[in-house]
Amino acid sequence: MATILVHIALVAYAAAAAAYLSWLVRPRERLVSAGRALLFAGLLLHLTSFAAAASLSHGEGLARAGFGSDAWKGGQLFSLLAAATVAGYLALDLRYRLPVAGAFVAPVTVAVMVPAHLVHSGTRAIAPELTHSSALAVHVFSAAAGTAALALAFALSLLYLASEKQLKSKHPGRLFARLPSLELIDRVGWQLSVWGFVFLSVAIATGSLASHEASGSAFPIAPKQGFAVLAWALLAGLIQARLVAGWRGRRLALLVVAGFLLLIGTYAGLLAAPQHAPAAAAALLAPGRG
Amino acid sequence: MPVLLCIGLSHKQVPIAVREQLAVSAEDLPRRLARLRAMPAVREAMLLSTCNRIEVFAVADARTAADDVLRDLGPLAAEHALIRVEEEALLHLFRVAASLDSMVIGEAQIQGQVKEAHERAQEAGASGAALARVVSAALSAAKRVRTETAIARGAVSISSVAVQMAHKVLGDPSGRAVLLIGAGEMAQLAARELHAGGASELLVANRSAATAEALAKEVGGIAVGLAELPALLERVDVVLCSTAAQQPLVTRDLVGRASKVRRFRPLFFIDLAVPRNVDPAVNQLENVYVYDLDDLERVAAQNRDLREQEVQRAEAIVREEIVAYARAKQERAAVPVLARLRAQAQALADAEVTRTLALLGPLSERQQRSVRSMAAAIVNKLLHRPTARLRGEQGGPLADAAAELFGLQDGGDPGAPEREDPPGAASGEPPAASRHPQAGTGADVLPLTGRK
Repeated sequence: MATILVHIALVAYAAAAAAYLSWLVRPRERLVSAGRALLFAGLLLHLTSFAAAASLSHGEGLARAGFGSDAWKGGQLFSLLAAATVAGYLALDLRYRLPVAGAFVAPVTVAVMVPAHLVHSGTRAIAPELTHSSALAVHVFSAAAGTAALALAFALSLLYLASEKQLKSKHPGRLFARLPSLELIDRVGWQLSVWGFVFLSVAIATGSLASHEASGSAFPIAPKQGFAVLAWALLAGLIQARLVAGWRGRRLALLVVAGFLLLIGTYAGLLAAPQHAPAAAAALLAPGRG
Repeated sequence: MPVLLCIGLSHKQVPIAVREQLAVSAEDLPRRLARLRAMPAVREAMLLSTCNRIEVFAVADARTAADDVLRDLGPLAAEHALIRVEEEALLHLFRVAASLDSMVIGEAQIQGQVKEAHERAQEAGASGAALARVVSAALSAAKRVRTETAIARGAVSISSVAVQMAHKVLGDPSGRAVLLIGAGEMAQLAARELHAGGASELLVANRSAATAEALAKEVGGIAVGLAELPALLERVDVVLCSTAAQQPLVTRDLVGRASKVRRFRPLFFIDLAVPRNVDPAVNQLENVYVYDLDDLERVAAQNRDLREQEVQRAEAIVREEIVAYARAKQERAAVPVLARLRAQAQALADAEVTRTLALLGPLSERQQRSVRSMAAAIVNKLLHRPTARLRGEQGGPLADAAAELFGLQDGGDPGAPEREDPPGAASGEPPAASRHPQAGTGADVLPLTGRK
């Protein structure tokens, strides 16, 4: 049931991506409306699939929602990240009307969801000490929210860099008219970066707690943890630079891009971690067992 | 059969020197419309007079009415004017409303001008239902063109491009401060536009305090001294320059220092002066953008090219809308045929029922009802398929065939079911349509039947 719902959601996301990309070519307002409605419908189905999976796990803890009873798959993790990003985008679009970001988010969501759900990924066990852990639950969801916020900030930063380049070179491209103002992209990107930093801080703290619960070590040495801490430090530097030195615009956009790429490194580290390693985790920074 | 005519000229036929002699002022318009109304062959008319065109769109009994209209426009117009008839006139009206015939393709004003010209014609009692339908269809086509193509996107005048670029950098101008240095006309225009768009403060600086005061008064701003420029650069968001200074007033060092104080908030320079007032190196600073005349002209040219590229798509929309208009006309034409067919059949049935009841002698109420029901059922069953076909095919050749086959042309008022009261009737003014027995009945103008 949950799988069927996710597949239908994926179809809705793909249709939304097609609508948004068509809008880039033909700026018809109804394409944006269709894209928005399809993303919303896809998200509802997607969330319903999580609820269905959670009900199958007999309600044994929030952290197990969508993750099976005592194991998780990489695909499920990316599915959660995709849903969080789509939800974040829809909230953003409601406030600021940013269809051009939709043209980025919807295809990326599909690109993440297709391998996540159609390609077989191995099951990883969750440490028994963590199956009822609140720290793990908070960790997973704050990591998903933080990643979604930073993914959106990353998308806006790329938009900023593209738009700024066109304005500086004084050669507006074909899509220039569809781009929002630099001021808006900068402001929203900054807000998302702050939210991303806050969620990432919570994720690291709770991940450390969960790690301690499972293995007794709060900071196990692994690439995943290293990338997460680097990303966090870079975001902290970004916030400092903005608040103290007044950095904005291009510099900030480049920092956000770098921060998000480091975060990607965290997920790569998570998936690359050997199954038998004590540090193999149920989610970001959380340890698992082989 | 009424015909749609378009008589007039535009920027494509004559230069402005001729157009300005022919332009019709708002005060003179009612008199000119009254003259058009008075022409015997003209049923309905509207006069579109803008700086780029003077054209009369008329619904007339015959195309010869165009000669009367042409004479009315005067000998100068007659020398250059074009006469367009039916499909050609319809296409022209749609293209004009969609700004495809404008000097600057995609300009926004023409749509409002067509609408206003028609409203004035309605007020003067010169326009009735037929012209209203054509104009309404043309305006809805124009709306589609504007929303579905990029024909109206991208400013094409220097001042508009400057304002557009400022919006791209700074977003909403509300709460922004604008500094105008110098008294150049284009810079004033852009400053006014930004101020009207919500900029909270418009500061005017000039070498001469008196000139600054006078200009500030003119544009609704506040005069400031040019000596305060370094401090001003720390607080304003847009700077418009158009002085005759031979050396740059704004240097990289000056802006670099201001940028740090303003904590790298974006600053947008619009340099409309020749020689330039802003050192081009200023554009290399972060969050600072400088657009000079050449840059703005390049963007304007690019926007013009973009609009030209959209013309084909806009023309396709216009064609689609013309077909839709023709189809709607056919639908309207089918309704009276159906109504007349049904009325004729019902009248026959009623007559036969009366005759039959008289022959049958005294019958109970129930028996009489049965006979009437049977007659009605026969009529309904016989007409069911023709009704469905006429509705499904939306009139057209079938409606004409039905009218011919059942002899419906002779029975009743063909336009009665569609009659509309033209505006002006309520005010006591005899509407143009009332001067002609068939006008305002919804009988449409063009023989577009069959065009799909």
